[in-house]
Amino acid sequence: MTQLEYAIRIRALTKNYDDFQALKGIDLKIPEGSFFGLLGPNGAGKTTTIGILTGLVRLTSGEAKILGKDVVRDFRFTRKSVGLSPQELNFDPFFTIRDLLTLQAGYYGLDRPLARQRTTQVLELLGLTAKADAKMRELSGGMKRRVQIAKALIHDPPILILDEPTAGVDIELRHMLWHHLKEMNRAGKTILLTTHYIEEAEKLCSDIAIIDKGRIIAEGSPGGLINSLGKSMIKLKVRNWKPSFVLKNREYNYSDDELTIRTNNSVKDMPEIISNVIARGASVEEARVFNSSLEDVFIQLTGKSIDA
Amino acid sequence: MLNRGFLTLIRREIWRFLALYRQTIIPSLISSGLYIMVFGQSLGSRIGTIKEASYIQFIIPGLVMMSVINNSYQNSSSSIIQAKFLRFIEDLLITPLSGLEISFGYIIGGTVRGMINGMLVIFIGWLLTGFTVGNISLTLFIMLLVSWAFSALGVIVGVFAKTWDHIAMFTNFIFMPLTFLGGVFYSIDMLPPFWRALSQGNPLYWMINGMRYATLGIFDTSPFLSVMISAGFTLAFSSVSIFIFTKGYRLKP
Repeated sequence: MTQLEYAIRIRALTKNYDDFQALKGIDLKIPEGSFFGLLGPNGAGKTTTIGILTGLVRLTSGEAKILGKDVVRDFRFTRKSVGLSPQELNFDPFFTIRDLLTLQAGYYGLDRPLARQRTTQVLELLGLTAKADAKMRELSGGMKRRVQIAKALIHDPPILILDEPTAGVDIELRHMLWHHLKEMNRAGKTILLTTHYIEEAEKLCSDIAIIDKGRIIAEGSPGGLINSLGKSMIKLKVRNWKPSFVLKNREYNYSDDELTIRTNNSVKDMPEIISNVIARGASVEEARVFNSSLEDVFIQLTGKSIDA
Repeated sequence: MLNRGFLTLIRREIWRFLALYRQTIIPSLISSGLYIMVFGQSLGSRIGTIKEASYIQFIIPGLVMMSVINNSYQNSSSSIIQAKFLRFIEDLLITPLSGLEISFGYIIGGTVRGMINGMLVIFIGWLLTGFTVGNISLTLFIMLLVSWAFSALGVIVGVFAKTWDHIAMFTNFIFMPLTFLGGVFYSIDMLPPFWRALSQGNPLYWMINGMRYATLGIFDTSPFLSVMISAGFTLAFSSVSIFIFTKGYRLKP
């Protein structure tokens, strides 16, 4: 893959805040058209990474590129190519939603007729048309979140960066946003998403990177990460199993007529394990599978829940 | 530099203060009118003329400068601190606008407010006293220089300020005393030599002196020096504000 095919390319990126090193040389490659999740506990470095990509944070060393262009040297190009919905809600109290969006479009160089046209489109897309002439302070939290996303979309950038876009929104709106985000991704937009909702990442993202303490500690597709790093379990209710029996090359334990066997691939391993148990003279009365989730992988890697 | 994004920012800044005209235009008009009536009418008859101008007309250039300084400074500083507090400055910092364009956008917004207010004070002066401007282009030029300088200072203070108090501190503890001691209500020729020399160290004195020359044709000290000093402040404050936005100082961690 050539460099230009990466929507976002980060190499050896570091960021120091006085004595604290927030990023310790991270590398990331996000292909064009992908839906990429950046997961990490609070303070892991997600928002700092996004800040560097969008021009809100100054990098200490390393490089970050958007569509092959450096975010510092070619900032006009890179910032035009990116739409950001920041984690924290911000609002300009002086203008209506329509005016805010038109102004935001203007900052990106859209002429007024085009800015107005885009504003109308984006308002409609996010179900904000009825609130177009309201001011931000008159809106609910969910509506404010929609406006944040509308601002990110207003100049129709090829890359969307969404920092916790569904934080604090109700389930209905979350599902609506998921639907829109999937549609936009299908239409060709590259999306970089950070989220506290593992389910969101599993549902939406084609690729994921887990960041902790300023380092990328795992990268891959959700399924791939679960398969390679997660530990599923097979629980067998058995009869006539003796503690002296051994299941070779398996990590397991036995108590109360139940064998618990850890596995990386429960579907593949199940027949072989049952055969081994029966071969030792025991019988299997019941078999259950507990599959590992992305959350398990996350906890295993970071030692804490994503909400920590 | 004259791109659409930059023009949009200027439009936003002007639109903001025009929408808030009850806070940004009317108060200055009322206070200047009061100064003219109270100081001019009550003291004017006792003082008579200063350098061939009636006292009531003598104070108007200083009032114009007061209004220009306060309004241009207030506009950019309050616009920036509000954008910082409510975090919508991020909406601007992520756009393709350069530091130069953002700082100039804010400066021009403040400059326009300063000039509108200055011109309205002249209008009030004309309405109440028949005040007329001798040299219109020089008046506008000095007004532009001073307005730009203090709008740029407002950008700097707005970026550094952590509370609204920091903004007000400049107005109350620096501009107000310097304006009053800068010869708005008197000629420094009326002061003893020591105080006259001290007044010449006050930059606002030079700006008022320049405006008085441009409008009434009278002056205490060199009008050329007045223009040069005003231009010097304009250049210095502009350079610092451009530097701040270009480097992202105190705006980007």
